[in-house]
Amino acid sequence: MSRIVLAVAATAALPLISFRAHAQPAAKPAAAAATNDVQPTPRLPDGKVDFGGKGVWAPIWVLDWADKKWVSQAVDVPFKPEGLELFKERRANNSKDDPEGYCLPAGVPRYTGTPYPFQIIQLPDRVVILYEGASHMYRVVLMNAEHSKDPDPTWLGESVGHWEGNDTLVIDTVGFNGRTWLDYVGHPASEQLHVIEKLRRPDYRTLVYEAIIEDPKYYTKPWSTSFKVKFQPGWEIKEYVCLENNKDLLHLGTKEPK
Amino acid sequence: MKAKSLIVLSAIAALLLAAVPVLAHHSFAAEFDSNQPMTVTGVVTKVEWMNPHTHFYIDVKDESGKVVNWDIETGSPNALSRRGWTRNSLKVGDTVTVDLFRAKDGSTLASARNVKLSDGRKIFAGSADDGSPDSKGGPTKY
Repeated sequence: MSRIVLAVAATAALPLISFRAHAQPAAKPAAAAATNDVQPTPRLPDGKVDFGGKGVWAPIWVLDWADKKWVSQAVDVPFKPEGLELFKERRANNSKDDPEGYCLPAGVPRYTGTPYPFQIIQLPDRVVILYEGASHMYRVVLMNAEHSKDPDPTWLGESVGHWEGNDTLVIDTVGFNGRTWLDYVGHPASEQLHVIEKLRRPDYRTLVYEAIIEDPKYYTKPWSTSFKVKFQPGWEIKEYVCLENNKDLLHLGTKEPK
Repeated sequence: MKAKSLIVLSAIAALLLAAVPVLAHHSFAAEFDSNQPMTVTGVVTKVEWMNPHTHFYIDVKDESGKVVNWDIETGSPNALSRRGWTRNSLKVGDTVTVDLFRAKDGSTLASARNVKLSDGRKIFAGSADDGSPDSKGGPTKY
């Protein structure tokens, strides 16, 4: 019983400790708390990184992919005038039209920066990502596949993946519907959005996530952002039905998402 | 029993320590008035343990003695439960004191920060990072 208590206490304390300091083995939480060891990257039999384990990836809430408050490096976003105008409009009204407030899907790369956990399931021909956030969404990445010629637009787009060596999972996504925002502050995205995500796991507790964003409608050139996500051993994805009781719309001063 | 009380203590520690954001699906600034922090005390009349935000309702007496029912929004049940809340943390009839920010539209909707329960425990119910004045950091002004 005492081990369970320690585990609960350790989990409670984790969010306050710096990212590196609490990288510790998941299998024996009580012992790990004492040694503070960094547990190595788990790997599949073929040598590729295993992004799974008993737990979930639990990201911080990235309000702004360009602001060093949340990401590894500040980004000077290469806006086109159309992109900047839309961004300024969203900032001026405090993101009141944010589609996420309407429980619509967060899209890519935003799902990785919502404060709801996700899990990565690796199968021989595909990678499935289960997102808890609005609303309990999944994403299928077909490995070593080609994009369709003209994919129908969707919230999460069409994703294909491949490996760079054994350490980096690359996910290439097109076919978006242009209705998502890249983040809470409202960096815009159109149907021309193309996102390349690179995922690495340098140790058991750490996912290094990088997104390269290309959208010729709103940006003059591709830009990239990255941050670290920590693994929370013992947590599970929970049901999240966002529309169940979404009362905020009555108070946000808007009628429908733009 | 000792183990049980330790678990309860751990849960309380979780409530106090966890800094995971919980209010995270819509704009704080568009909905709530960060210039109007308030503290109100009232009796719980209803609890909605539902996504995307748990709401509870309290009867609050105003200065004239009139009872007004407030709608108090907190984080999502998912995030609150990871902090140690349960659907029974607040019960109808409990007297609670809530630090909150009132809705800008003048309604009695409010976003809760801290909730002091009838047993004296004070627990964090808002977001660590939602752009409210007491959060770790809202978006930078452009």
